[in-house]
Amino acid sequence: MATDAIAERLEELWETEPTLYGRLATVDHKIIGKRYLYTAMLFLIAGGIEALIMRLQLVGPNKTLLGPEAYNQFFTMHGTTMIYFYAFPILVGFGNYLVPLMIGARDMALPRLNAFGYWTFLFSGLFLYASLILRSAPHAGWYAYVPYTLQTYSPGLGMDFFALALIFLTVSTTAGGINFLVTIFQLRAPGMTISRMPLFMYSSLTTYFSVVFALPAFTAALVFLELDRKWGFHFYDIAHGGHPLLWQELFWFFAHPWVYIVFLPATGMISMLLPAFARHPIVGYPYIAVSTILTGLVGFGVWLHHMFAVGEPQMSMSFFSAASMTISIFTAVQVFAWIATLWKGKPVLTTSLLFALGFIATIVIGGLNGIVTAVIPVDWQITQTYWIVSHIHYVLIGANLFPVMAGFYFWGPKMIGRMLDERLGKLSFWLMFIGFNVGFFPMQLLGVFGMPRRIYTYPAGEGWTTLNLISTIGAFILGFGLLLSIINFFVSLRHGQVAGDNPWNADGLEWSIPSPPPSYAWVHLPTVVSRHPLWDDHDELYDPNDERVFDQDRLTLSTTWKDAEPVSLARMPEDTITPLAISLTLSVIFIGILLTNLWLALAGVVLSLAAAAAWIWPKHGPKAMLEPQSERVTA
Amino acid sequence: MSSTYTEMPLPLRRQPFPVNDKRGSLSIIFFIATEASLFAVLFASYWYMAKGAAVWPPDDPPKIHYALGMLAVLVSSSIVLHWGEGQIKKRKVGAGMAALGVTVILGIGFLILTVLEDSEHLSVLAVNHDAYSSLFYMITTLHAAHVTLGVCMLSYVFLLPSVEPRSVTPHRPYHNAALYWHFVDTVWIFIVLFLYVSPNVGRR
Repeated sequence: MATDAIAERLEELWETEPTLYGRLATVDHKIIGKRYLYTAMLFLIAGGIEALIMRLQLVGPNKTLLGPEAYNQFFTMHGTTMIYFYAFPILVGFGNYLVPLMIGARDMALPRLNAFGYWTFLFSGLFLYASLILRSAPHAGWYAYVPYTLQTYSPGLGMDFFALALIFLTVSTTAGGINFLVTIFQLRAPGMTISRMPLFMYSSLTTYFSVVFALPAFTAALVFLELDRKWGFHFYDIAHGGHPLLWQELFWFFAHPWVYIVFLPATGMISMLLPAFARHPIVGYPYIAVSTILTGLVGFGVWLHHMFAVGEPQMSMSFFSAASMTISIFTAVQVFAWIATLWKGKPVLTTSLLFALGFIATIVIGGLNGIVTAVIPVDWQITQTYWIVSHIHYVLIGANLFPVMAGFYFWGPKMIGRMLDERLGKLSFWLMFIGFNVGFFPMQLLGVFGMPRRIYTYPAGEGWTTLNLISTIGAFILGFGLLLSIINFFVSLRHGQVAGDNPWNADGLEWSIPSPPPSYAWVHLPTVVSRHPLWDDHDELYDPNDERVFDQDRLTLSTTWKDAEPVSLARMPEDTITPLAISLTLSVIFIGILLTNLWLALAGVVLSLAAAAAWIWPKHGPKAMLEPQSERVTA
Repeated sequence: MSSTYTEMPLPLRRQPFPVNDKRGSLSIIFFIATEASLFAVLFASYWYMAKGAAVWPPDDPPKIHYALGMLAVLVSSSIVLHWGEGQIKKRKVGAGMAALGVTVILGIGFLILTVLEDSEHLSVLAVNHDAYSSLFYMITTLHAAHVTLGVCMLSYVFLLPSVEPRSVTPHRPYHNAALYWHFVDTVWIFIVLFLYVSPNVGRR
């Protein structure tokens, strides 16, 4: 049968109806992935504006743009937005869009759960920002240390918004994490054995395993906090046998793995795009894979280094200090592998590669001053100073924002079908890179000169004025650079050069289909025989007898987890509104708890269970076995 | 890049493929993993507080007889359910469904015992009396919520066969709900050990 006719039928099966209902009910991973990216970008802009207002407040001594309470709310909203609502969701967005295309599947393993993850992410973000509109934003930083966050010291709804929004987000993150794990373990193309997976899969698997095991600590800590605040429990209340430090232990047990959670997928993206521009396969594939996994594992054993100053036993401090220094080895392995790839290849200096190089430079600086910070006596000197602010931004902007920009310029053409402008892109890169260093390097000096974090202003004559002015200028240059890339995106959306299937001549499966990909992705599901599907002699789409079309229903191949041998077909669900419905009923629960209205919360629980029952109610008839495809095709 | 055909790498000609929904089972295993971490964190908090306290627990330890009775109920329910799943796999649907019904009844029995135990224990120790009581009731109530969810899942499976053909083996929803139920039972074993047995033994 002609390929066009099959494509037409597949399109009919997989397309999202172009109606309002269709858009709300879609389970297409490409649409959901793009929504994640757009929403996370909006949060980046919101968090960025908050940061710029703070920098204006700190531009000189004794400024009065923000009062102390407003300043606290600003840095809290900035940190919370960036770390929870931008840094991770943007990577989920890339993962959502790319993972199925990189492994040759037609969708994520659990498409409805995928849609659910997006809606809960969106609603939890709106929930948090509702606090800003009600003028009772949280004010205790993204780490929200007790006892300051207890009812006595933080009355009002601010911290309740914080705790509930993040518990809500946990639901989204856990759902997404499970979905990625199942997808990568079960839906890889035939032949994509565990040793041929794209490196992005190694970083994704490590990340989402960390999510599954680390996130509950945060959930528990937040639930304790809410019970203490609203119902007079005593988890953190020292007068009744509670432990304020329990919060810190639980929080950092979660939050340090979280740092790797927002870092590892980004390194995976670099390992995918760097070889395309170096025009050389990645050097040291197994070493990168193993060190990625080890980073995730050891990442669970370093949390105490955030607490060196609270008085822990000497022995455990030494252990955590050693683990913190060990983890830099695994990052160094990856850095050297990237440099070696560039060394052996013939690099083409595109915007995307520039951002990747900027990432490597920044992560090396951030990593090195991280090693310094892991030394206990040094930490005692510089903790709670601007040194730490500088470190976290070198690590997080270096490890997250630059790789995200590199990925944006690399996969952007795949998503929108048009090339992004290189000249504007390079200008944007240089502004961002210079602005970033001008903005954050002075903070390192400020930390050494003794400027504490989280102060809303400072007196003249401390020697901090000039450096703060420079830092503010840098922050605005960084913001302007980012703005250029956003403008570039919208201009290129209409006027960019048409991208074609594989504009970079890259090796990944996602480049074997048109840009933007059709809803069903492949007419003939691909097969793989090497780590570089598009660079080897094997034609992944060769299928003269239409044996890998699977157009009887929404179907994709399910394979074994290790050797990726095809064993069965996975039947994908139709578009449905239940994920959206259940996200809304979950919102009712959280609003009920926020207002201390348990009846409303209970109603939300009952509605959620009903929606869940409707969700999993089987819709297919008793077709356990599909009719043989070849017979029908030849008929 | 190249368009030459080398080989069909794998046994793709073994068609037709069965339609298989193992994805649900793998997802529920990961879901159980994250739930298990949640309970691990709660137990860790319990021991963390115990480490810092002069006397632990600071209040009278809970009476053990209810907890052991509840343990017997849950363990027997797991055994019955496991047997029932074996029957389903042998296509003896009637026996499998009967086992499912017995499990649901035992689960409800557990919840009734929980209410009885709590109403007795609450008269001795208020929920927000101190950190210990907070954590004790947090863990036991969260577990009871999990039992409730498990009962909902099992009852749901009980309703399913009216639309799903009974001949489908293995009965995937049955298996998935059973996995979750066994997990909930396992958690109770740890609760009995840590929250009921250990304080009573330590006090003697």
